[in-house]
Amino acid sequence: MLKMSWKGVLAHKVRLGLTGLAIVLGVAFISGSFVFTDRMSSAFDDLFAGSTDGIDLVIQEGGSLGFTAGKVPEEILDQVLAVEGVSQAIPTVQGFAQMIDKDGEPIGGSGPPTFGFSIDAADFETTMTSFVEGRLPESGEAMIDVFTARANGFEVGDSVDVIFTTGVETLEIVGTIGFGDADNMLGATVVALDLSDAQRLMGYQGAYASISVVADPGADLDQLRSALQQAVADPDVEVVLAADELAEQLEQVDTVLGFFNTFLVAIGAIALFVAAFLISNTFRIIVSQRTRELALLRAVGATGRQVTVIVVLEAFIVGVIASAIGIGVGVLLAVGIQGGLEAFGISFPSGGLVVKFRTVAFGMGFGVFFTMISAIIPAVRASRVPPVAALRETAVGFSKPLRKRVIAGVAITSVGLVMLFAGLFGSFSKALLVMGIGAGLTFIGVAVIAPFFSRGFGRIFGAPLPRMFGVTGRLAQENAVRKPRRMAATASALMIGVALVSILAVLAASAKTTIKGAVEDEVIAEYQIEARGFADPTSTGVSPALKASLATVPGVEFVSSYRVGPYLEEGGSTTLYLAAVDDVLDKVIRWDVLSGSYADLAPGKVMVDADWAADKGIGVGDTVTIEPREGHPVDFAVAATFSSDLFQGVPIVMSLADFEQYYSLGLEAMVMLKLADGVDAEAIRPALETLVDEYPNVELSNAAEYVAKTAGQVDTFLNILTALLGLAIFIALMGIMNTLALSIFERKREIGLLRAVGMTRRQVRRMIRWEAILIAVFGAVIGLVVGSLLGIAIVYGIGSGLVLTMPLGTLAGYAVFAAIGGFLASLWPSYSGARTDLLEAISFE
Amino acid sequence: MDIGTTGVAARTVEGVKVYGAGDLEVRALDRINVSFDAGRFTAIMGPSGSGKSTLLHCIAGLDELTSGDAYIGEQRLGALSEKQLTLLRRQKVGFIFQSFNLIPTLDARENITLPLDIAGDDVDKEWFDTVVATMGLGDRLTHRPNELSGGQQQRVAAARALVSRPEIVFADEPSGNLDSKATDELLSFMRRAADEFGQTIVMVTHDPMAAAFADKVVFLADGICIDEMAAPTADSILDHMKSMGG
Repeated sequence: MLKMSWKGVLAHKVRLGLTGLAIVLGVAFISGSFVFTDRMSSAFDDLFAGSTDGIDLVIQEGGSLGFTAGKVPEEILDQVLAVEGVSQAIPTVQGFAQMIDKDGEPIGGSGPPTFGFSIDAADFETTMTSFVEGRLPESGEAMIDVFTARANGFEVGDSVDVIFTTGVETLEIVGTIGFGDADNMLGATVVALDLSDAQRLMGYQGAYASISVVADPGADLDQLRSALQQAVADPDVEVVLAADELAEQLEQVDTVLGFFNTFLVAIGAIALFVAAFLISNTFRIIVSQRTRELALLRAVGATGRQVTVIVVLEAFIVGVIASAIGIGVGVLLAVGIQGGLEAFGISFPSGGLVVKFRTVAFGMGFGVFFTMISAIIPAVRASRVPPVAALRETAVGFSKPLRKRVIAGVAITSVGLVMLFAGLFGSFSKALLVMGIGAGLTFIGVAVIAPFFSRGFGRIFGAPLPRMFGVTGRLAQENAVRKPRRMAATASALMIGVALVSILAVLAASAKTTIKGAVEDEVIAEYQIEARGFADPTSTGVSPALKASLATVPGVEFVSSYRVGPYLEEGGSTTLYLAAVDDVLDKVIRWDVLSGSYADLAPGKVMVDADWAADKGIGVGDTVTIEPREGHPVDFAVAATFSSDLFQGVPIVMSLADFEQYYSLGLEAMVMLKLADGVDAEAIRPALETLVDEYPNVELSNAAEYVAKTAGQVDTFLNILTALLGLAIFIALMGIMNTLALSIFERKREIGLLRAVGMTRRQVRRMIRWEAILIAVFGAVIGLVVGSLLGIAIVYGIGSGLVLTMPLGTLAGYAVFAAIGGFLASLWPSYSGARTDLLEAISFE
Repeated sequence: MDIGTTGVAARTVEGVKVYGAGDLEVRALDRINVSFDAGRFTAIMGPSGSGKSTLLHCIAGLDELTSGDAYIGEQRLGALSEKQLTLLRRQKVGFIFQSFNLIPTLDARENITLPLDIAGDDVDKEWFDTVVATMGLGDRLTHRPNELSGGQQQRVAAARALVSRPEIVFADEPSGNLDSKATDELLSFMRRAADEFGQTIVMVTHDPMAAAFADKVVFLADGICIDEMAAPTADSILDHMKSMGG
């Protein structure tokens, strides 16, 4: 029977080829993302493993969240050195440091971190940092990474301006460093400084970020660790085995990479889900075209079951071959991405790509699963072909009554919606998976109902065609709807992609409106200063030195700022964010203090979001316990409750003094300026710009510019996601092409007849083209409707001040793009349709 | 005098059609010279493989001769591009095929006006009514092909072939799938078209009963024209075929 299936595959290789290509793309995406994230993960492994190679223990502030280091008081170094078994203790400092190139532009800053650290001769022995040329820095000097030096034309002896939290500092480059055999640390830009410079410039007066300990040879590390912990006698400082610390850091990296990977795999799964529609459709059409052949098999004694097995095995063969190719393409994709990243200045440590068994298993599993599952219904239908069909002329149609279909569709959609929203807004384990399955069921349900609308759609949206192109248009209209199920199945594949991008468009538009509204309603300040581009406020920001100098500009009445830092709820593991503010924030933004008083905010006290407080059942005077550092809970008294759209998602606001105690990042997330009454905002701007220009990593903007900048960032996110979902849309368009090609094949005689009675090739192409466009627009319209409704539901579901906005222009644009996509998908079928062999088409068998 | 402009609707001159190459070469038409008179109903007969369908295809502009020339009126088909041939078929030629003559998604009226609609030409309402009446289709115009009998479908095809007033109508076994009653009806209608409208019709058939409706029968064998018979009857055709076969 495998032989029969194999022959079936060979006989339909062109038709199955397109189907296979859809699988190849989906699997390539999935396996490519696995291979790439594995590569990233191994690169980080190398980097971190190398960074602590010669170090046995690390002394640091316990529980620092994210990638920001804590502080260890200076005096601990002597205590450490006094402990028996300690061979070397190397204090290190690290923090924000961004170089400025020779044109005055900041180097890096959007993506990989820009940082600096103190360097010691011992580092070249004990860490991955490798000496390239020059010498170690003294005060006023720096070594920089080889990549940055080369890319920006810096040479030993040049001077470089570097932005630190304390201000901009000009340093002389005295050498370059590498990391293992790589020229930079996965794209990070690095400035290595003399220890005391590092302390001064990165806000570590009297403190270090950590102390690395090298033990005497043969020392028992566990004993040494206890001895050190005792010697240190500071509850905030912990002594950990370097290996444990390394494992923890790698775990954090792998968590981030894991999210990234899950996200990419989800995109790949969506593509395969769409491909499943295409495969199902293809098999259904092939089965109906092969009715006579299958009936003949039945007539000569094959059981219905055997016929099913033959068709399913065909799917299996296609799935295996396509998945294997897909995995190969995926590896190439990963190679390409790494090459691209290297071209963009992200240098990888040496070491090849690894194709793990897991990658192959997932790629093959997904590919074969989706192929076979989508062939099952057509295969079961194939088994119902009666032997007598072998003797009949026409293909046998199988169709359930539409009414039953609609009921089934509504039921599936309802279950899907319930799961979708439960997963979206519920907080239970596997919520994402439930959401995904819910979304899948919703789409399947809609696809089941869709044929019900095929004819009506064709009648309404196809109406202009006969008027525009006469009978050619009329035929295009009729052909599109003549098989409502086929049209609906083809269009549904496109519907999925369009629905997803529509949801995103609705969310993005609503987010933009909300931001605009919040800024208009709540910002009093004329100007704000913030890091350029996409900046993580917990790792970069505005230097307090700039804030101080801005306050001296005549005409500036108030300068205020806030910072952002990560925290955990007591005993929690999800990183949340809090803000820290100075005492004049209410002069630059308008926020509703609902109870208590902003003036009461002081060390040991916090303001909390009113809704959040209501959820927790707490109020002014109560205590909230959070962990600014993991495992180190701190109690804060609630001084006030507030409500602010600008601080949406930041439920806790602490004082700046507390922030400086718990967080080492000494940068403002945003600085805001309120001018004195009567000061012309435009007139004062050049004076402000002059100061801001000294810090090329930040920029000044007024309210309108700020709104535009934020909107631009939302759009960038939207565009990236839309581009990724483009894969699913591309596959759906391939589906249109495939269905169309198969339909044209079925209508060979009809086209031959039209050609015989005088239809030109051009007219044939036009007829097929508009059929494709109608199908594509049908898919797009269902997608827009489904996507908009889901988008609206999600916006209302999120609530929290989100203002629903329908991006009608964008959505209409999607419909136009779908039409263009349909046109492109029709190119090949219409070309081959127009070349239908006239004689073959009209000759009688 | 050039007879082409006065009395010949279509002809071939030394027409050769070869399929395949080498050992598999088949000469479907072998230097055939044949002409069809304007305003008359001519039947082409011959055994299977005699080249009668090939002749029809080549002279109707559906296929190309390997060598020699085919003409419709004075137009040499070999001189035309693919597009010009299409336009020629649209303007000067009508077709009736053995089966699958109609577009299933269009009703009878739309099928009849299809060539005019494709060309974007106006339908001559009076002529349309005349043709429809002649073919006895008045009450069937809004039906789709699957709601029509085989005979009705072929009459719709005939009406379609006539409605654009082509110079010549080619029919390829038009009654091949019909029972004798429907065959009789269809051919009577075609006969009337020739008589009443002066329509030139060339029909390929292997059925002597059908050929008997024609003004003239042309007999083909092995790719050449071997005989002609004017004012045929079913009996005389049968006799002739017997003599050929014997």
